[in-house]
Amino acid sequence: MMNEYYPNFAIIKEIKKETINTNTFVLKFTDQKIADKFSWKPGQFMMLSVLGVGESAISISSVENDNSINATIRNVGNVTNSIFSLKKGDSLGMRGPYGTGWPLEKIIGKDILIVAGGMGLAPLYGVINHVIRNRTEYGHLEIIYGARTPENMVFKDEFSKWKRIKNSTFFLTADEITRENPFECRTGLVTSCFPMMKTHHRNAIALLCGPEIMMRFAAKCLETIGFADKKIYLSLERRMKCGIGKCGHCQIGLKYVCKDGPVFNYDDIKPFIRPL
Amino acid sequence: MASYIIDKKDLKILLDKFLKEFKVYGPIKPGLDSSVDEIKSIDDLHLEYKSTIISPKKFFLPPKDTLFEFKIQKGNYEIKEIVNDEKFILFGLHPCDVNAILKLDEFFSGKFKDKYYQNRRKNSIIIALNCTQPGENSFCKSMNAGPFLYKGYDILLTDIDTKYLIEIGSDKGKKIIQGLKLNIASKNDLLKKEKKCKLANKKIKKILDPNWLPKLAEENLDHEIWIDLGERGGVAGSFPCLSCGSCSLVCPTCYCYDIYDTVDLSLKNGSRVRELDSCQLLEYGQVALGGNFRKDRKDRIRHWMFCKFGAAAGSKNSSCVGCGRCIRVCPSKIDITKVAKSLWRKK
Ligand SMILES: Cc1cc2nc3c(=O)[nH]c(=O)nc-3n(C[C@H](O)[C@H](O)[C@H](O)COP(=O)(O)OP(=O)(O)OC[C@H]3O[C@@H](n4cnc5c(N)ncnc54)[C@H](O)[C@@H]3O)c2cc1C
Ligand code: FES
Repeated sequence: MMNEYYPNFAIIKEIKKETINTNTFVLKFTDQKIADKFSWKPGQFMMLSVLGVGESAISISSVENDNSINATIRNVGNVTNSIFSLKKGDSLGMRGPYGTGWPLEKIIGKDILIVAGGMGLAPLYGVINHVIRNRTEYGHLEIIYGARTPENMVFKDEFSKWKRIKNSTFFLTADEITRENPFECRTGLVTSCFPMMKTHHRNAIALLCGPEIMMRFAAKCLETIGFADKKIYLSLERRMKCGIGKCGHCQIGLKYVCKDGPVFNYDDIKPFIRPL
Repeated sequence: MASYIIDKKDLKILLDKFLKEFKVYGPIKPGLDSSVDEIKSIDDLHLEYKSTIISPKKFFLPPKDTLFEFKIQKGNYEIKEIVNDEKFILFGLHPCDVNAILKLDEFFSGKFKDKYYQNRRKNSIIIALNCTQPGENSFCKSMNAGPFLYKGYDILLTDIDTKYLIEIGSDKGKKIIQGLKLNIASKNDLLKKEKKCKLANKKIKKILDPNWLPKLAEENLDHEIWIDLGERGGVAGSFPCLSCGSCSLVCPTCYCYDIYDTVDLSLKNGSRVRELDSCQLLEYGQVALGGNFRKDRKDRIRHWMFCKFGAAAGSKNSSCVGCGRCIRVCPSKIDITKVAKSLWRKK
């Protein structure tokens, strides 16, 4: 019997600095067979582990041609700290992918509104790439990305490319701008961009990821401008121990974030987005 | 399958046969209270028990379980599998506890199988004992989980005065009594069982309607009862919840666990361990940078109650079997049946 709790091993092929406390790690399964078999959907996550320290849920931001996985990680505690102490060539434990992804097939033909806050861009990065690659299959693409400061933004190298995507709008906003402002960020919360939004709810789907409080406000604002709950999807974060729907830690109401989510339709979980 | 009888004084013959081939665990009474532990001879066995404090869940989902061991060498890892192949018999389990195991079975199967749980389950034989003396806190009848058992056993015993009725529930059960000279049960013996069942049912005083329990979970997210239970004066004669987690500790269906790593002093050898956890404890919902998705006590007690009412494992069926253990151990005297009834009444 396969034992899902055993991590496979992956080697760090490269480390890219994103912000002062965030790096993108390029991870390749050491077992070529596992690497070859790997398939994923944007929005899914991996369990990364440093043996002796523990495991953490980390989104797959993208996957390269040789099936190396890009994981963009913010250093916030025990596990992430020890991942940051690893160097190129070191190995760590990795299992997955887990969870549901964004409903990319279901939203073919629709306009797409992406609202991301901080690290929340990581699980949406794959959606943006997917839309770029399959540009004709989707309507207008609008990206609204906010962070505390411009320095805290991730995937900055992509911004100029994203600004040039055909039939798209791109807003960057920061809570405060203390130092330089290289990407012409606006100031304010993500919701402050909504009045300028080009997307009309009629043929659009909204995809949200960020701190829960941000998603709650964003979803509420979207509702007031006419978005039906069913047209809003969000990716939730919860404490995760097993990632496979057993340990119970990620429960929210009737759902398990690791197995029924992390991407949920707003209509399904609206009553539960608060302490539950 | 056929049913048999055995004189109570001959139970030793049965047990001795089992002891020859298996480790046997059953109800014992070492001090004031009963527990399910290893039985070495018939003298250890204490079948006239009401309930044990800790449920037999511990044989499948131990409080602490090593998932695997590992070795770290020059940045490389080696994982060592833990194999647990002990074959064992659980002797004299009550229907509520067997039903709890059936619920756990369902939970630990599915897309991702839990090898640790399933291995132990595969290696176990359940000899259940119908409950003729339900305790004052039992409401198993309402939860369709007792006092008599209709599924989930390999062998089922019923105390019919001077004898035990033996019913076979599986091939495993049939196999382990092969070779024993047992008399076939008469119609009268089976009638006696029916009578005992009726008597036991009458002894149960706590009654609930399980059909509306899942609804309670869905419809009462913002009920003031949660504030009463968590912060104010309690509900229906209880004190407010202390978030001690005792209810999870004794619950036969609470399955939540934490996972963590331990390493030895050399920092080279370690293991990944899972340990039963409780959603009642503050740390359960804590995440990095001081966040906590269930910081308030009222949110935690609500979460626990909902799980028992019908939100467990994302299902809409109650995970409660009505064993009454949580009622018995709660230091604040919180009674889940009273909470459910108050919610229902105040709708
Ligand atoms: C579906 C999902 C996707 C995620 N994707 C990313 C990502 O792409 N990049 C990124 O930087 N972070 C991501 N996170 C958050 C990340 O899992 C936590 O920041 C990380 O687990 C913190 O662990 P730590 O040991 O470093 O911190 P500590 O505070 O020391 O963590 C202690 C324990 O709590 C758990 N834990 C702590 N915080 C969280 C949290 N916020 N969510 C879940 N479990 C937590 C950890 O598993 C760990 O066992 C994601 C979380 C989820 C649920
Ligand atoms: S992380 Fe364990 S159940 Fe979801």
